[in-house]
Formats: sequence, structure tokens, C-alpha cells
Amino acid sequence: MATQDTTSPSTAEGMGLFERYLSLWVALAIVAGILLGQLVPAVPETLSRFEVAQVSIPIAVLIWAMIFPMMAQIDFTSLLGVRRQPKGLTITTTVNWLIKPFTMFAIAWFFLMVVFRPLIPQELASQYLAGAILLGAAPCTAMVFVWSYLTRGDAAYTLVQVALNDIIMLFAFAPIVVFLLGISNIQVPWDTVALSVVLYIVIPLAAGYLTRQTLIAKRGPEWYDNVFMKRVGPITPIGLIITLVLLFAFQGEVILQNPLHIVLIAIPLIIQTFLIFFIAYGWAKAWRVPHNVAAPGAMVGASNFFELAVAAAIAIFGLQSGAALATVVGVLVEVPLMLALVRIANKTRHHFPAESA
Amino acid sequence: MDNVIDIGSNALDFIKQQGGVVTVRLSPRYGCCGGLANIAVAEASTPADPSLYQSHRYEGVTLFIDPALVGQGLSINVEGWWKLRHLYVDGSPLNSGHTYTK
Repeated sequence: MATQDTTSPSTAEGMGLFERYLSLWVALAIVAGILLGQLVPAVPETLSRFEVAQVSIPIAVLIWAMIFPMMAQIDFTSLLGVRRQPKGLTITTTVNWLIKPFTMFAIAWFFLMVVFRPLIPQELASQYLAGAILLGAAPCTAMVFVWSYLTRGDAAYTLVQVALNDIIMLFAFAPIVVFLLGISNIQVPWDTVALSVVLYIVIPLAAGYLTRQTLIAKRGPEWYDNVFMKRVGPITPIGLIITLVLLFAFQGEVILQNPLHIVLIAIPLIIQTFLIFFIAYGWAKAWRVPHNVAAPGAMVGASNFFELAVAAAIAIFGLQSGAALATVVGVLVEVPLMLALVRIANKTRHHFPAESA
Repeated sequence: MDNVIDIGSNALDFIKQQGGVVTVRLSPRYGCCGGLANIAVAEASTPADPSLYQSHRYEGVTLFIDPALVGQGLSINVEGWWKLRHLYVDGSPLNSGHTYTK
């Protein structure tokens, strides 16, 4: 029988008030956005005018504000440690890139296009499926440090896995998304997907890398961590909430007409999160991977880089699309789901070999 | 040094080549939904404010280490090649980034 692991950190140690209640803030952002769109429609109308090549400039700025701080803290030299935890890296990389996008597609398609067919119009269901595909193709890149901490994960392994995922994402995100959208009969031009990859992966990644290298060379690593990142790091969740308010200022009509859809979209996302966690965690147990690698490894795949998914959904399908709504449901359920997985991981620690040194 | 932190022989050679000083400190990592975790990192340089660290001498190397990392069973190793050669801290779980009061 599983026993309570008394050595694991409490949620309060790794997460402040904001992140523990993220679902509440997201829900409030949805309400605020809908109210803004309904009561002051001039705001979304004015914002929608600032577009270049179908890219909303205010939204692009907010998305960069969300993604840049995450990219600026990635230490790509940690990739040199890729040989240190070969089993953990093999499992997580395989699950993230060869299994997760396809199970997400299969589960979302089954629920949205088959089970919920009487409840969701076909056109809208396809849009929600597209949002789920975008979520499935983007593994967690920053929050995994918190999940890893809460499960007493190996820091060096977590650093390597995050850097490796970001490099793979650069090349794999667009082909996976285009392929899965294609077999869903959702045609999107390659250049639109490529533009979203350049805007929301390549540019923030390059800017983050250059900023990190330049500032560390000029001011030293301690200044970078303790002054620069201390100012820049907290911008991500602020950018996220403002983006959601604006998104729902545009989405108000869709939500008011179909409030049940949020619940229906959440169901396949929740099933997918648990499935991916247990595939990676079970595989790690079968390969006798230490718990401090197995737990964060399983968390990386289960959790999503939803900022990228939201950004890509907006860039490819638009602010008012069902795809954008589906990616936001991913944000809504993320923290409670991941905290449930943290509890499962901590209670099953004794099933795994002792921690690696 | 066993009670403070272990330094691998290759890491010792590397630190000596870089000037004989190593700093072991906590580096924050921010989550995308908020949240903060600290990772132990090692750098072959003197800290900005040495008074915040414990200092030790070991086989010709000066070690500055964050007091929170002393005696945690950690080890400093080196990996990579040429200009990408760098130190890393092994055996470290992530640390809390939040001040926690029960």
C-alpha cells in the first residue's frame, strides 16, 4: 500500500499563492475578458486593427512577454550532460515526441468528433481538435522545474531534459502539427505554421540565448540570476493573464453561446495528461529508473507549453477561433492536474530504486 | 571536503586552470504559471559578494559555497569540451524558491 512520503516538499514551498490558484485567476480572466468584450467592444475592435501579415501586434508582444523569460533561463550548455541519464532522457524524449502528440490527437478526436458529436457542431469540434493538437505538440519547458522540485527531482536531469526539448521543439513542432492537422482534414498553409514557429519559438529562443550570453559575459552569472531574471521571470504569468483577458474579449460570443464546451474540451485533455504521465512513469519503473528522474521525466510529458500552443492557435486560426479556446482550457486545468500527479508521484516513490547520485 | 561538497579530480584540474576558485550557488528557475525552484550550479569564478558564502580551501582550490548547499552530499564535476567545458553539480534535488512559513 502506498504511504505518505514525508520527505517531499509541500506545495506551498514550490508555489506561491498566484500559481497554486492559477485556475481561479484564469477563470477570473475569462470572466473579465468576456465582460470587457461585451461592455466595451471598442477595446477588442481597436486592438484587432493593429495587424501586420495577419499577426496581431498587441497579442504578439504579450506572447513574447510570456515566452521570452522562459527562453532566457535555458542553459543550453547543460545539453552536454545528455549522456548522464540516458534512460530517463530516452523515455521522456520518446514519450514527448513520438507518443504524446499522437495520443492527444487520438483521444481528442475520439471525444470531440465522436462522443460529443451531438453536443458540438462539426466545424467547432474541428477547431477544438486543432487546439488539442497544438497542446500535444508542445511539452512543458519552464513549469517542469517547479514540478521537479515538488517531487524532489534531479536538478541536473531536469535542466538537460528542458534544453533538449526546446531544441527538438524548434524542428519537430511544425511538422507534427501540420501532419496531425492534415489527417484531421484541417488544412493550414505551411507558411502560416512556419511563421508562428519563427515568431513564437525561433525569435524568443534566439533572443533569450543572446540576452543570456551577453548579460552573463558583461555582468556575471549571479547578477543575471539574481537581478535580471528576478525582474524578468515574473513577467510570464502576468503576460499570460493579460493575454487571456484579451483573448476572451474576442471570444465572448463563443463562450456565452456554448459555456458547456469548456467542460467538454477539458475531458480529453485531462485523460491525455494522466495517460502520458502513466506511460512515462510506468516505463521508467520497468527500466528501474530512479524516482528523482522518473517523476520529473513523466511530468515534462504530461505538462504542456501552453503559451506556445495559445500563440500558435492565435497565429494560425485567429483570436476568435475554437482552437484558441481549446488551448486556453489547457491552461485552466494545468495546475490542479499537475498537482494531482505530484501527489501520485510522491506517494509511489518507494516503488522506484534509490535516487541516483 | 567530504563534509562540505565532493569535487571530482577532473573538476579540480579544470578549476585550477580557470584560476583556482569555484563558487557553488543556487540559480533560480521560474515556472511559466509562476512558481520558482532553485538549482545548484557551480562556476569557476569568485562570487560577487563572498561574505554571503562559506569559504573553504581544498587541494589548492578556494571554494565559495552557499550555506544551504553545505553537507548535502553533492559533487562538482566537469563535462563538455573546448570552450563548452563547464562545471555542474550532481546529486542535487531542486530547492525551494519561496520563503515558506508553516
